[in-house]
Amino acid sequence: MLARLAGLRLRVRATAEGVISGLHRSPHHGQSVEFSEHKEYAPGDELRHVDWKAFGKFDKYYVKRFEQETNLRAWLVVDASGSMGYRGADDRLTKLGYACTLAGTLAHLLVRQQDAAGLAVFSDKVTAALTPRAEPSQVNAILETLDGLTAGGETRVAAAVSFLAERARRRSAVMVLSDLLDRDERLLRLLADLRRRRHEVTVFHLLDPAELDFPFDDPTLFQSMEDSRSVEARGRDVRKGYLELMGRWLEEVRRVCGENDVEYVRVRTDQPLDDVLLPFLARRERSAA
Amino acid sequence: MSLSFLHPALLWGLAAAAIPLAIHLFYRRRPKPVPFPAIDFVMQARRETERRLKLRRVLLFTARTALLAAAALAIARPQLDAPEARAAQGPAGPAATAIVLDTSASMAYRLGGKTLLERAREDVLEVLSALGPDEPATLVICGGEAAPSADPPDFDRVGLRRRVVDAAQGYAHADLTTCVAAAARALGDPAAAAARRRRLVVATDLTASAWRLDAQPPVVSTPAGPARPEVTLLDAARGERLGNRWVSGLVAEPEPAVGSHGYRFGVAVSGEGVEAARDVPLSLRVGSGKEERTVVRSLLELPASGSTRKTLAHDLAAGGPVVVTASLPPDALPEDDALTLVVDVPRDVKVLVVNGAPSAVRHRDAAYFLEAALSGPASPVRATVVDAEGFGKARLADFDVVMMLDLRSPGPKAAELASFVENGGGLFVAMGDDVDPDRYEAEAKGLLPAPLHVVKTAAERGTPGAEAKAARLAEIDWEHPALRIFTGQAREGLESVRAWRYMLLKPAPRESGARVLARYDDGAPALIEARRGRGRVMLYASTLDPEWSDWTIRTSFLPAMQRIAGWLAGALDERRSAPSVVGAPRPLSLPAGLALAGVLGPDGRERRDLAASGDPAREGGPVLTPDRPGLWQLRIRDLATGGERIDPALSFAVWPDPRESDTRRLEPSELTAWFGGEAVARVASDGKPGGSRQVPLWSWLLLLAIAAFLAEGLLVSSP
Repeated sequence: MLARLAGLRLRVRATAEGVISGLHRSPHHGQSVEFSEHKEYAPGDELRHVDWKAFGKFDKYYVKRFEQETNLRAWLVVDASGSMGYRGADDRLTKLGYACTLAGTLAHLLVRQQDAAGLAVFSDKVTAALTPRAEPSQVNAILETLDGLTAGGETRVAAAVSFLAERARRRSAVMVLSDLLDRDERLLRLLADLRRRRHEVTVFHLLDPAELDFPFDDPTLFQSMEDSRSVEARGRDVRKGYLELMGRWLEEVRRVCGENDVEYVRVRTDQPLDDVLLPFLARRERSAA
Repeated sequence: MSLSFLHPALLWGLAAAAIPLAIHLFYRRRPKPVPFPAIDFVMQARRETERRLKLRRVLLFTARTALLAAAALAIARPQLDAPEARAAQGPAGPAATAIVLDTSASMAYRLGGKTLLERAREDVLEVLSALGPDEPATLVICGGEAAPSADPPDFDRVGLRRRVVDAAQGYAHADLTTCVAAAARALGDPAAAAARRRRLVVATDLTASAWRLDAQPPVVSTPAGPARPEVTLLDAARGERLGNRWVSGLVAEPEPAVGSHGYRFGVAVSGEGVEAARDVPLSLRVGSGKEERTVVRSLLELPASGSTRKTLAHDLAAGGPVVVTASLPPDALPEDDALTLVVDVPRDVKVLVVNGAPSAVRHRDAAYFLEAALSGPASPVRATVVDAEGFGKARLADFDVVMMLDLRSPGPKAAELASFVENGGGLFVAMGDDVDPDRYEAEAKGLLPAPLHVVKTAAERGTPGAEAKAARLAEIDWEHPALRIFTGQAREGLESVRAWRYMLLKPAPRESGARVLARYDDGAPALIEARRGRGRVMLYASTLDPEWSDWTIRTSFLPAMQRIAGWLAGALDERRSAPSVVGAPRPLSLPAGLALAGVLGPDGRERRDLAASGDPAREGGPVLTPDRPGLWQLRIRDLATGGERIDPALSFAVWPDPRESDTRRLEPSELTAWFGGEAVARVASDGKPGGSRQVPLWSWLLLLAIAAFLAEGLLVSSP
């Protein structure tokens, strides 16, 4: 149904309205107008947050903690390489189309609750970037950028990681939307590096159902979407081997993400966006709480 | 050990084995191009499965090729000729060999694209090739000679080979018993005394009709006494059953219902060892050479074995000799699929009816009933009626027969009439009130079979009791050609004829040659005939109108008058002798003043070799021995003028020997037993004299084809 909505903005609005907004709260504590709680002082806490009145009453050092609503910085990292232009059936979105809709919806939701949303688009290099901001006009800027994207070029996640290392110096939420079909074997290690830079990393792994089920039978000339390679094979002859390789790879991606505290969300492009976003947002709310 | 094929021509089917390769090369499906993101996995999967897939493709290709090749080979009926211990082998050492080559008609049977004679020739040539340098040999060509003979064995291999190669296909019946006896006699010749063994090789088709197993088996006279030769029978039919169907009989009988020259042709068709068949075409052709045409097409229902009969009718249109051929579609032995017959169709008989007492009242007119009887629709007689005055002006040479009814006397025509009869004309005289016996005696003395005497009245017609007193015909000569047609109840039509009045005849002189065909019950001749020169004269003692006799209203009148007219014209005795059989001597009876100048065979070519045997100077006239079936024609020379011509009246048909059409084969054991058992005789059903055992391979090939089919199915359905 989503694919039938013509424009990205329309798809984003339709999705956003279906999602319960404001499920998450900022995990950051500090300068805020709203007092949250007291916490017993521990070495390392800033002395300026010590509540001296409470010390006078209880003869113990307590530190005041505050809630703030709008200080999350989120980078939406969208893969626009050639492989993202694939769709296995005419009634489905391409992987890039699905990623743009997902990214736009997330931007909409973030800005709506005063979080800052930024965008980085990459293929073999970063081709477009918007620094995270919380103004409502940011959503329009992001959607405009996404709307003009076409798939092309090789996938090089390293380019996006280098860009973020340079531009995202503060702790940020990094949401990568990609099919991860990068020939660079360091791909998963690069994602783990982002996490080590204290960013909260989420990987939306987008895959077309045809990539997961391999519904080919007849002799077919498979052509690469990112370079000039091609291979001729009869679908039914190679299906079993393909599915085994694909299954092993998916398991490997999930395992490495888990080991490196990277949230991994596998997304089939025939899956409703609600089904993807709602569990994701719910998990984030639980973790924030 | 060698491989041979029963149907080598079918090996062309092996080309089908190239179909999978051709499909692979020329009809390969182009793969559909599809852009795909996870191509690395596809490439890796293909690399991992490539070896297995390649093996599977090779196996699939092999299975399909094997399936087609095995099926094609199986159809060609391959067999492995494995050597086995030689049977019928005597002591070691050089052998004198006598070879009998059957060239009889049945050897023309076609099997697997070759005639049996062609196979037999190859077998014999192989035997000759295998002979050692110290082994003499001789050859008997067994093609129907009454007394075959063989030269003593010698070492002229070139001559023998030439004789084998030149041995022509015969069409006669061969008596192999006689031929092997002649071969055994040759082996007993002192020229073969140096050889330690005597060997008899017979290349034949093993048809039962060629052997007389009740005769003594061949024995060779050797210095040590009579001995049985080693016998090898080379089966040219390779153990196959020889089914055959042939036209076994053809007879022609007049059938007036069809037309004035109508005939009924009885065609007998026989079969042996063939499947029953429906709607087998049978055709009847008339004429010969370029003028031959099919006049009747019919369908037969044939039993598997035995005979069936079909009757076909056709009006042969014109008189004279006509060639008729009944034929079946050609089969493996086409020489016996047609029989030819020469039918002498009676000529039209021109009769001059002289009405001596014309009457305005039809039923009292003497010629009214006769003219009606002779002019029937199927009658070969053409009658012209004149009165006494017209008779005086008539030219008798224009007619075959003159029939005078109640004519006072021949008058001035008497001399011409006598000359007419002397030269072969026929004369019929019927009595009546106007007939004057004295004038007949004066004008035509000696012309009539007997002199006329007086009229006798048995009863006055119309008076009480006249019917009972009337004279009846008795003592009828039913064997006379003119009356032979009356059989059974039909005779009553003649026996019931009554005469109230009739002419008594004076006794005929003994030298007049008169023959009484019928008498009245008082013994007086009623119908009497005599030959005068080349002609015939017949006299009826009563009238051919109801005045004296009631014959005209009897059922016998019409056929009797037509037959009598034919008889007097000489048409009834033009009967041809039966067709000859191939190889049977046929005496040729040539009319006086003619000599045989040449013989034309069924192919229309002059047979100078056979014409020599037809020497007219030989005692008993020329004799011809036709050597093939079909129509034979004679070219004759007029001794007076020296002119030569082909006389259709002397043509004759020659039929295939029915014994050669019967292709039932002997069991090999019967024949070996007759020769003295398996100790001395063996049948080589593969035609190989060396002794070999045939191992048929077609069943194994079929099994291979089935296995390939199953394997192909498994490979196609496997993932």
